[in-house]
Amino acid sequence: MTPLLLSLLVVAPVVFGALAWFLPDGKARKGVVAFSAIFMIALGIFTATQGAFHYELGSWAGPASLLLEAAIMALVLGIAVKVRSWPIGIMVIFQLVVAVAEHVMAHEGAEHGVLFILDPLSTILMLTVSVVGSVIVYYAIGYMDVHAHHAPPTNAGNGRFFFILIGFLGMMNGLVLADNLRWLTIFWEATTLCSFLLIGHDGTEIARANAKRALLINTFGACGMSLASFTAATAAVGATGTLTGITTAHLIIPMAFLCLAAFTKSAQLPFQSWLLGAMVAPTPVSALLHSATMVKAGSYLVLRLAPAFAGERFMVVVAVVGAFTFAVTSALAVSQSNAKKVLAYSTIGNLGLIVACAGIGTPLAYTAALMILCFHAISKGLLFLCVGTIEQQIGSRDIEDMGGILFKLPMTTTITMIGQASMLIPPFGMLMSKWLAMEASIQHPVMLVLVVLGAALTVFFWCKWLGRIQTASFHSHYTMEKLPTAMLVSVVILAVGVVGSALAILPLFHHVFVPVAAGAFKLSPSTLAPLNDVIGFVVWPVVITIVVALALTLLTRRKITEAHVSMPFLCGENVKGTESYLFRGPMEQTTEAWAGTFYFLSIFDETRITQWSNLVAGLLLLTLLGVIKVL
Amino acid sequence: MSSSPTFLQYFLTLVVVLVAPLIGGILNGFDRKITSRLQSRIGPPLLQPFYDVFKLLQKKPMVLNRIQIMYAYLHLAFMILTIVILALGQDLLMALFIHAFSTIALVIGGMSVRSPYSRIGGQRQIMQMLAYEPVLVFLVIGIYRVVGMQSGTGSFLASQAMSLGQPLLIPLPLMFVSFFIAILIKLHKSPFDVSTSHHMHQELVKGVTLEYSGPFLALIEITHFYETFLLFALIACFWGTNLLVGAVLAAVCFFGMLVVDNACARLTPVWMVRFMWTVPMAMCLCNMVWFYL
Repeated sequence: MTPLLLSLLVVAPVVFGALAWFLPDGKARKGVVAFSAIFMIALGIFTATQGAFHYELGSWAGPASLLLEAAIMALVLGIAVKVRSWPIGIMVIFQLVVAVAEHVMAHEGAEHGVLFILDPLSTILMLTVSVVGSVIVYYAIGYMDVHAHHAPPTNAGNGRFFFILIGFLGMMNGLVLADNLRWLTIFWEATTLCSFLLIGHDGTEIARANAKRALLINTFGACGMSLASFTAATAAVGATGTLTGITTAHLIIPMAFLCLAAFTKSAQLPFQSWLLGAMVAPTPVSALLHSATMVKAGSYLVLRLAPAFAGERFMVVVAVVGAFTFAVTSALAVSQSNAKKVLAYSTIGNLGLIVACAGIGTPLAYTAALMILCFHAISKGLLFLCVGTIEQQIGSRDIEDMGGILFKLPMTTTITMIGQASMLIPPFGMLMSKWLAMEASIQHPVMLVLVVLGAALTVFFWCKWLGRIQTASFHSHYTMEKLPTAMLVSVVILAVGVVGSALAILPLFHHVFVPVAAGAFKLSPSTLAPLNDVIGFVVWPVVITIVVALALTLLTRRKITEAHVSMPFLCGENVKGTESYLFRGPMEQTTEAWAGTFYFLSIFDETRITQWSNLVAGLLLLTLLGVIKVL
Repeated sequence: MSSSPTFLQYFLTLVVVLVAPLIGGILNGFDRKITSRLQSRIGPPLLQPFYDVFKLLQKKPMVLNRIQIMYAYLHLAFMILTIVILALGQDLLMALFIHAFSTIALVIGGMSVRSPYSRIGGQRQIMQMLAYEPVLVFLVIGIYRVVGMQSGTGSFLASQAMSLGQPLLIPLPLMFVSFFIAILIKLHKSPFDVSTSHHMHQELVKGVTLEYSGPFLALIEITHFYETFLLFALIACFWGTNLLVGAVLAAVCFFGMLVVDNACARLTPVWMVRFMWTVPMAMCLCNMVWFYL
């Protein structure tokens, strides 16, 4: 059963993707895409019910992995030549040299070991990828239909797009399940390639430049991965080139290199620029790769290894990098009016929070990190999809243009409100996990200060946006907007997921997240008790409060008619006789009343803050290498 | 530790929820009375805040849109919930988050209408949150440290703070001062009355609450009563070992707040954030360093 499941998880999406590519644009392709989405959800859930497994491929796995790795590197090298990037080329060649050296110098038996592991931790991410990822793929059917009409003529075509998008799910599943470092590197690189190709989808100059930057930074990370693999295989006799091997043999140097690779993938400072640039891609790509799943790979890797190194001095540095990223990106998000960029910064910040929690290394912090990993995918996936819909409907992704969309797009706006509220209100998953993260960071004063300041800034930018999309004049009737079925259904599914996980937060916490943390830290039931007590009581009072407030609103709302509507206070200069927002300005000119949003561009100056924080983050990375005594 | 409250606690919570707005309203009456005397006026009767609320409740509702109604209700509901959570002795940090959402509801309500003054007031209100929220979080964590939370597992219950050997003020003097400044912001007192003010003839008009009127404004006023009660009850808790002393402490702070309010002019929102993120924040951190050394 296991080999079949494994190959289905990894290969089936690629096959479906290829099928979608070769079918003509139209019903047949849409059918395949929709079927593959449903298939992957079912497969993911089925695999999760099968319980944990370890799997070792036959003796052909070693040569096969070498071959695959060489193929991918040749591909990247080809791309490096095509985009004329010396640094990428040199780094790929460096990786090749390291791989060969590893093959020659590795200790006897270092290349063996368990190849794929499905344990509770990987189950969580595998499920997230299969379910949230497939929903986003389904959304893309509707989105790309519209996108194809106004995309620049240079775009790569919907067929290739769906091939990569669906195939990516397989690569991501492989990445989540791989334990052997060589296989991990293969899938890691494959997701980087997917990301590169999808960012460059539109083929415009900026898309190509940003795709190149993404490839450059992630190839740098892959070098870290190669070095990790090399140092692990050559470290000591009996050590294996697997993640489990690194944790059991407590190899700090490979661990640090893996952290470096993780930081690039998760766009931690100073590597954040590629993820911001990646926002030029069509929105389903941003939702799937650059928010819900692929960028999680980095923080997932840290999470996987962290329990074995809890309490090490260098884990403190890892945690500070994460917390620093959270604080800085939250500040930068305040100054952004581009909705996708706000989401990108917030994504980087939350990834930072996961890394910070992993670095703190207590069971509570670990639980918080798992919850963010999971709930962030749902909430942020939802928000990205909503922004995609809004952008196609109003023709802008600028937050300032989103005033009044409550009337134009009542359904989408309401769902966006739910998504944003999930970042601010208990008992929604994101807020609960942020709360746990804060409780956990009390152990380390530096982290605490960074997390607290970051959290305060987060509230600032979410509020501004939430206030803007709800700005509306009085309307007695709202008519639901017409959207392609795929876009509407997938957004509703994710919204139901957000609300459902909020209602089920207690069982999820006790029966899903705490057991995983307990397993990772090998806690006994007695030491587990305080962890289980953390969120006991608060959920139901909050739910009741929200329901009562909403019920009262609905009751009052019915009685409000146009007779109760007044015009805003404009110092008594309202233009008389019109039911409008006009006022008499200077020189008797009629002017429309309008107030913009605060962005504090001079205080939260993106260029300046980025420069300084990159410098600080760079120094932190050097400290990381210093602490493990590489320098 | 296990957090299921007893029947008695539920009953006491109900009493607190019913009594809180009365005390908060009377405190507001005192506020207006004392402020008038400081300005050589006679001032309204002590119960004027209640008369205002009753009058507002009887008025015809006037709105700009229907969304703002929801936020008036949420504002009040989450403030009451904060008090419930605290009275039941639940986690302090969670209570703080719930309290923050009450303010967020006010902000979004103010921003949801197409009224320039209301929007500016709303955004200034977020800046107020930005200014005081870190201080409040540090205060909560300071209290955590005093109570001596066990190594990273388990949450902290408010009830534990009440049963300490020594008053909280002794280990947390600097945090107390910062908290006092945060209260000035929370209750919109000068020099921090940047998001709304009690006087109409200013650049801000009524800021975030400008477009609320009638029964909906009454809801916001009632929330204000609750909040006044909550904040000064917390001040009293700083001397929780003897609540009589605590009450005197709260009274002194109340009077101090009025003096500051009357002696200062309004300053800009950016100045407020800068000030809060430097002076009170530094005081909080100084105070906190003691626990980590």
